Amino acid sequence: MKELVTFQVGSYANFIGSHFWNFQDELLGLSEDPQSNLAFKNQNLDMDALYRTGETQQGIPTYTPRLISVDFQGSLGSMNKHGTLYNQTSSHSSSIPTWTGNVSTQKSEPYKKNLFLKRLYDEGKEIVGDSQSEILDTDVVNSLEDGVDFWTDYSKVHYHPQSLFELNGSWINSQDFNNFGIGRNALSEGLQGDEINERFRFFIEECDHVQGIQFIVDDSGGFSGVGASILENIADDYTNVPVLLYSVHGPDSFQNPKNRKQNISSKLHDAVSFSALSSLCKLIIPIGLPSLSESGFCKYLNIQDKKMYHSSAVYASAIHSISLPFRMNRIGPSGESLSEYGAMDLYEGVQMLVGQGRQNTVAILDAVMPVPSLTGRVFKQSLLESFQPLTPETKHDVEDLQAIESVVVQGVLGSGLIKSCVIDAAYGCVRYMRQGWTRPDKLFRAIFDDNDEKGVHEASLSEVREAVEAAYEKATTRPRFSHLSVSRCPIPIPLPFPLIFGTHVGKRGEILSQPESESESESHDVESVPMAARLRSSTAILPFLENKLGNIRKFGLERGSIGAEVLRNWGFGREEVEEIGENYSKLVLALDPHQDYSSDSD
Amino acid sequence: MSLRVLNPNAEVLNKSAALHMNINAAKGLQDVLKSNLGPKGTIKMLVGGAGDIKLTKDGNTLLKEMQIQNPTAIMIARTAVAQDDISGDGTTSTVIFIGELMKQAERCIDEGMHPRVVVDGFEIAKRATLEFLEKFKTRVVMGDGPDREMLKMVARTTLRTKLYESLADQLTDIVVNAVLCIRKPEEAIDLFMVEIMHMRHKFDVDTRLVEGLVLDHGSRHPDMKRRAENCHILTCNVSLEYEKSEINSGFFYSNAEQREAMVAAERRSVDERVKKIIALKNKVCKGDENFVIINQKGIDPPSLDLLARAGIVALRRAKRRNMERLVLACGGEAVNSVDDLAPDCLGWAGLVYEHVLGEEKYTFVENVKHPNSCTILIKGPNDHTIAQIKDAVRDGLRSVKNTIEDEAVVRGAGAFEVAARQHLVNQVKKTVKGRAQLGVQAFADALLIVPKTLAENSGLDTQDVIISLTGEHDNGNVVGLNQHTGDPIDPQMEGIFDNYAVKRQIINSGPVIASQLLLVDEVIRAGRNMRKPT
Ligand SMILES: Nc1ncnc2c1ncn2[C@@H]1O[C@H](COP(=O)(O)OP(=O)(O)OP(=O)(O)O)[C@@H](O)[C@H]1O
Ligand SMILES: [Mg+2]
Repeated sequence: MKELVTFQVGSYANFIGSHFWNFQDELLGLSEDPQSNLAFKNQNLDMDALYRTGETQQGIPTYTPRLISVDFQGSLGSMNKHGTLYNQTSSHSSSIPTWTGNVSTQKSEPYKKNLFLKRLYDEGKEIVGDSQSEILDTDVVNSLEDGVDFWTDYSKVHYHPQSLFELNGSWINSQDFNNFGIGRNALSEGLQGDEINERFRFFIEECDHVQGIQFIVDDSGGFSGVGASILENIADDYTNVPVLLYSVHGPDSFQNPKNRKQNISSKLHDAVSFSALSSLCKLIIPIGLPSLSESGFCKYLNIQDKKMYHSSAVYASAIHSISLPFRMNRIGPSGESLSEYGAMDLYEGVQMLVGQGRQNTVAILDAVMPVPSLTGRVFKQSLLESFQPLTPETKHDVEDLQAIESVVVQGVLGSGLIKSCVIDAAYGCVRYMRQGWTRPDKLFRAIFDDNDEKGVHEASLSEVREAVEAAYEKATTRPRFSHLSVSRCPIPIPLPFPLIFGTHVGKRGEILSQPESESESESHDVESVPMAARLRSSTAILPFLENKLGNIRKFGLERGSIGAEVLRNWGFGREEVEEIGENYSKLVLALDPHQDYSSDSD
Repeated sequence: MSLRVLNPNAEVLNKSAALHMNINAAKGLQDVLKSNLGPKGTIKMLVGGAGDIKLTKDGNTLLKEMQIQNPTAIMIARTAVAQDDISGDGTTSTVIFIGELMKQAERCIDEGMHPRVVVDGFEIAKRATLEFLEKFKTRVVMGDGPDREMLKMVARTTLRTKLYESLADQLTDIVVNAVLCIRKPEEAIDLFMVEIMHMRHKFDVDTRLVEGLVLDHGSRHPDMKRRAENCHILTCNVSLEYEKSEINSGFFYSNAEQREAMVAAERRSVDERVKKIIALKNKVCKGDENFVIINQKGIDPPSLDLLARAGIVALRRAKRRNMERLVLACGGEAVNSVDDLAPDCLGWAGLVYEHVLGEEKYTFVENVKHPNSCTILIKGPNDHTIAQIKDAVRDGLRSVKNTIEDEAVVRGAGAFEVAARQHLVNQVKKTVKGRAQLGVQAFADALLIVPKTLAENSGLDTQDVIISLTGEHDNGNVVGLNQHTGDPIDPQMEGIFDNYAVKRQIINSGPVIASQLLLVDEVIRAGRNMRKPT
C-alpha cells in the first residue's frame, strides 16, 4: 500500500495544510542538500506517498502534492489557482479567439506579495550578483509575524493545477457561511461537487496502491458541510479507500457568541457536524483547543491565539508526525532500517486503534514539542507525562485499562551518545562510497565534518525504543496496547514557520536550561525540532462526546424550541435529529457500556 | 450584509426608502449586465488579483463571478440563475427585464400611484402576455424525423450570442447532431449522455463531435497497445486490485507466515478475477480482433501485467457516468461481477487509440455501430477560453433539447417583445379598469427593454429603432431588429428563433420578483401572518 491522497477543506484546514506541505518541501530540499544535517540526509521516507510525479505539456517534469484543497473564492490571495508550474504560455495574450465583437476588461488590483513571497519569486529568477535587492531572513520572518491574511502568504510549495479548488459561494457572505446546513448545499450549486469528484479521480486514477485519504476539514462553519458532501461522494465511488479524518477547529471559532440564539446555533452546529463527519470516515480526530497558548502544550512555545498562522503551525507539526509511519519504507525481513522504525499503512494504523474490541472511532491527539532529550536510555523528563492533548474537552488522568495508543517519536536528541555517532558514521560511509568516494582519508574527513556537532545528536532507534518502553514501564496506568513508530528525522523548521519557540529552545530543538540569548524574547534560529505525537483511543474523550449529546438533546429535540427551528432551517427534520442523538449514544456506549445513554429522559 | 453596515437601524428603515433602495439595486444590476445581451453584446474579461482570467458573455457566469453584497441584488441574481438552471438560457434578459419593471414602476409611484396598484397591473399584464405567447409561438412538429433545420436555427441563434459567427456555425451542427444522437424515442433527453471533454492545445480553436467516447485517461501499462482496431469493449465495475478486507487487517497476525498466507490468498482471488476476463477474451477474439477493458474500479500493477501479457488494453477508474455512456455508445452491458461475464456483455468499437499531451492522456473510443452517446471535444489555447466555449456548448445543447421538448419556438430579435407590447397597449389595457391600466402600460413598456438593449449594443439609436419596429408591427407584420442596420426584419426569414420555455420563464419570474421588491412592507407582513403567497 502506498499512495495517500490529502484533502484540505476550509480555511483553518488550509492554514494547517500549508504548514504541513512546507515541512514536506523542506524535507525534500534537505535530503538533497549536502550541507544539511545527517538526520535529513539519511531519512528514508517515501515522499511518493504524498507527492505525485508529473509532466507539463512542455515536457518538464514536476513533483507536486497529491492534494485537493477547497476554500472560498478569494482565499488564495496572490497565489494563482492553477499553481505556478504548468504555466499557460498564451494565457496573458489579450486576444480572445472566440469573439470578434466588443471586449471589456475588468482587472482587479493585483495582490501585493509580501516579503516572503517576493523573495520566493526572486529565487526562481536567478539574480546576478545584485546583493542590494536581497531580502533578509529576519525581515521575512518579521513581516509574516506582522500579518498573514491567507494561507498562501507563507506557502513555499508548488501546487498542481488540479489541487486548488475555489468554492463559488454564489453571494454567500463568509460570515453567513457558518453552519453545516448551508455548507451541505453549497456543492450542489452548479456542478461543483462533480468538479471536485473529477479532481479526486484525476489523482486516484494514477495511484497503483492507494493506502487511503487523509482528510483535514475545518469544522467550525459551512465547510464541515462541504466536507461531508465530498466524503459522501467518495464513499459512494471508493468504498474501500479508508479515510482518516482530522476535524479541526480554529482559535477564532471559539469566540463568545453574541446572543442566546447564536450560542445555541453554534452548539448545534458542532454537534451536527461532528456526528455527520464521524459517520463518514474510519477514524476521526478532533483537533483545536480554545486557547492553545494557555494549555500545557505551550511550555516552551509562545503562541498568540488570535493568529491562525501560529496555532496552525503546531497542529500541522502533530499531523506531520502522525503521518510518518504511513510513509516509512518497509524493510524486508533481511535488513533493518537505521533511520525509521514502526512502519504501518493508514489502514493498519486506523484498524489498530479502532478494530480491537471497542470499535471506538474517535481518537485523541496528544503531542510534545519539543521532545525532551535522552540521557542514557531515559528521557530527561517523562515522555508520557509531557504529552498534552490537542483535542478539546478531554478528561485528564483517566484510568482506562482498555486504552489503545499509537505513538510516533521523531528526531529525539541524545547528548553525545557514542552508539548513534557510530551509526551515523557507518551510514555516511555507505553513502559516500555509493557516490564513488574511494580515498579513505577524504572519506574520514567528510564523515568527521558531518558529525562535528557540539555533542548534540539524534539518538538511535534502539535508544529511543528502549526509552519509550522504560517510560511505559514506569507509568502508573498502562494502555492495553500501544504501538511505537520512531524516525530519527526531526521536524525541519522552514523559514516561513512562525516565531513560536521560546528562549529555552535551542537550534536543534534541544531544551536549554539557560536561555540562548537574554536580549530577545524568542530565538530566531531553531532549525529543527524533535517531536512526538500520539493517537489515543480512550475514555478521556467522553466529555467531548457527552457535551455534544447533551446539546443535541437539550436544544435540538425540544419541540418548538429555537434549536429545533434552527435545525429545520439547515434541512434536518426531527427524525434526522434523533438519528444524530442515537449516533452519539452509540459513540459514547462504545467507550462506556455501563452508562445508560440510550433512552431519552423525557 | 452591506445594508446593515450602511445603516445599523436598517430594520426600521422606512418604507419608501426601502423601496427606492430596491429599485436602485435592480437598476444597478441591469447596468452591469445590459451590455452582454445579444450577438452584438460585449464579452467580459475578468482578471483577478492573482492574474487568473475568466472570460464570459453569459449573464449566468458573470453573476456567479460577481461579489454581490446587496440583498436585493442577490434576490434578483438568484432568480436569474434559477432561470438558467430551469431553462438553460435567458439570464441576461431576466435581469434587465426586472430592472426595467422596477424603473417603470418607479415612475408610476413617483406620480403618486400605490405600489399595490402597480403590482396588480403587472399581474394582469403578465397573464395576458403568457396567453399571447401561446398564440405567438411557432409550432414545431417533432415526429420521428425531427425538423433538423429548425433545430439548427435555434442552436445557431443561441451560439451566435456567445461565439463569433463561423465558430458558432461550426458548433451548431455539432450540438444538433449530439442531441439527435442521444435522443431516444419516448424518453426525456438526458444531456448527460453527451460527454464534454476538453484539451488544451496551443493555438487552435477547434471543436469536434466524436461519435463514441473520449476518456480522460489511458492505460497504465507500458506494453499495452496505444492503438487497437476491431475492439470488443468490456465495461465493468470490478475491483482488480489487492485490497485488504476488513477481517484481515494486517496488524494482529500471530506471525509473519500467517500474514504472508493472508496476502497470498487475497492476491489469488484478484488473479482469479483477471483470469476469468482473459478467458472471455480468448473465447471471443478472432483474427486481428482486440479486447479493451474499461473499469470503474482500480486495477493494480500485477493485474495490469497479466492483462498486458494476454494482449488486453485496460483502463482503470473510469468515471461512473462513462459506464452508462459506454454502453450506449458501444453496446453490451456494464458488468458488476466476473460471474456475469458473457460474450453478449461486450460492446464493440472499430477503433480505440490513445492521445498524449504532457501528463494528460486521452483515450478515443470511435467507430461504434449505433452510437447513442457521444462526446464533444473542445480544443482551446487556455483554460478560460475552453471554459467559455464549454458554457456556450452547454447553452447550445439546452436550446436543442428545449426545442424538441417544447415542440415550439419563438421568433426572436425583439419580435416577441414588440408584438406583446403592442398587444398589451392596444388590446389588453382597454379592458382594465382604473389606475391598474398604468401598471399594464408600465409592464408593456418594460418589455421593450429587450429590443432597446439589442439596438443599443449594436450602436443604434434606440428611439428610432423602437419607432420603426412598432410602426412596422402596426402594419401587420411580425418584426424584429436587424442588428446591423436597425431596420425591421422578419426573424423567421433570418432564422432567428429563441426557446419557448426560456421566454415563458422570463415573463413568469420577472414580475414575481419585481412585485416582491415593490411590496416591501407587505412582504414582511405576509411572512408574519403565515399567509400563503398567491
Ligand atoms: N441575430 C440576432 N439579431 C437580433 N437579435 C438577436 C439575434 N440573435 C439573438 N438575438 C436576441 O438576443 C437575445 C438573447 O441574447 P443573449 O443570449 O445574449 O441573452 P440571454 O439569453 O437573455 O441571457 P444569457 O444567454 O446570458 O443567459 C434574445 O432576445 C434574442 O432574440
Ligand atoms: Mg442566451
